[in-house]
Amino acid sequence: MASRLWASKAASYLKISTFNRGFASVVKDLKYADSHEWVKVEGNSATVGITDHAQDHLGDVVYVELPDVGATVTQGSSFGAVESVKATSDINCPVSGKVIEVNQKLTSSPGLVNGSPYEKGWIIKLEMSDTNEVNSLMDSERYSKFCEEEDKH
Amino acid sequence: MIVAVNFCLSSSIPSWTILSHSDRRNTSQRAAVSRTINAESNSLVLQSSRRRCVCYDMHKEVIPFSEAWSWQKSIVEERKTWIDSNEDGSDALIVLQHQPVYTLGTASTENNLNFDIKDPPLPLYQTERGGEVTYHGPGQLVMYPIMNLRYQKMDLHWYLRALEEVVIRVLFSTFGLTASRVEGLTGVWVGDKKLAAIGIRVSRWLTYHGLALNVSTDLSPFNGIIPCGIRDRGVGSIKELLIGCDEPYSKFSYDGDDGKLIDIAHDSLVKEFCEVFQVELCHQPASILRFPNRKH
Repeated sequence: MASRLWASKAASYLKISTFNRGFASVVKDLKYADSHEWVKVEGNSATVGITDHAQDHLGDVVYVELPDVGATVTQGSSFGAVESVKATSDINCPVSGKVIEVNQKLTSSPGLVNGSPYEKGWIIKLEMSDTNEVNSLMDSERYSKFCEEEDKH
Repeated sequence: MIVAVNFCLSSSIPSWTILSHSDRRNTSQRAAVSRTINAESNSLVLQSSRRRCVCYDMHKEVIPFSEAWSWQKSIVEERKTWIDSNEDGSDALIVLQHQPVYTLGTASTENNLNFDIKDPPLPLYQTERGGEVTYHGPGQLVMYPIMNLRYQKMDLHWYLRALEEVVIRVLFSTFGLTASRVEGLTGVWVGDKKLAAIGIRVSRWLTYHGLALNVSTDLSPFNGIIPCGIRDRGVGSIKELLIGCDEPYSKFSYDGDDGKLIDIAHDSLVKEFCEVFQVELCHQPASILRFPNRKH
């Protein structure tokens, strides 16, 4: 804990913290993982992307690594990656299932993740293997609070 | 609990501008920061609260890229299992030199290669780090920190700036070279020459890959690529700058001994790394990585 306190003090002393907007937007009917991915459940299908909070912190996304259609993904494990500013980060899947579609537009326009994280910037669609997994995710209100808490560190 | 952190160095270091990463979000904060650091007065306060970092120091060895890459991945996997079982562990740091190799990042394009990708003049690896193509080879010190950013700051931009900070301090405090950041071009620059390239991967807030500092590197293999995709700037090394300068640097005099130059650069890198990230190194033999199943 002490080293995190040091890091925060050093970051603010050096004024290199990224500027965090008061409230990154959340969409009400989506569910959220603590690794900042959102999921929209429609029956047995799920659409997954990264949240406004995530894209805001990443900065300009220059590349999105997409999984193959037909790949199996499990809740909490990585299914792809986003690159910004020489840093490539895993994207983790909020629910398990089989990938049925990937957003090919992101290959030529990775910036869609920044500009429209909940709509045009969707990343994969999958057929869920266990719809109960959604219960372990956060709703929009809890996710907003989670982001506020995390940004304090 | 650290209440106040006061720093002062035995020799003064210049102020430099630290730029925020995104104009898009209207954050044009420019802070000229003048810092001095007192190792003595803080060591007692900080030592007991420093996070442990296991160090595999192979800075005098020239290691194949694939071997070091697989070491990093196994360290990251191990730390993920620690996170899953709620165990706190240590960070890790690998320091080494590589055999000549070109590596690509996730978004790298063939446009930045001056050769046919199917017939590269050196081994070529497509990696999972961010950033464009770069060269690694003898005379270049490579650092692979595997840091859990939950114990630092969960901010990739902060981490990249902190890695740059390590190198900037080394270049000034040990070699008297004034280096800088260039907004939008991650890395460490002296004039328009890049001395250190940086590219990382982050998985569950665990970082890997890292930075490469040209100390006495033969820079000619960089002609085979557009380094990091930047066409209108060059690549430099500490040795080249020390030889090429007209005024004598009071801080450092290069005597032609590249081995000694590497040692001095390494010692400074490790020291500044510990200061910037507030970690305490615990040296482990490289045999642990080479022979993981053996009892050590």
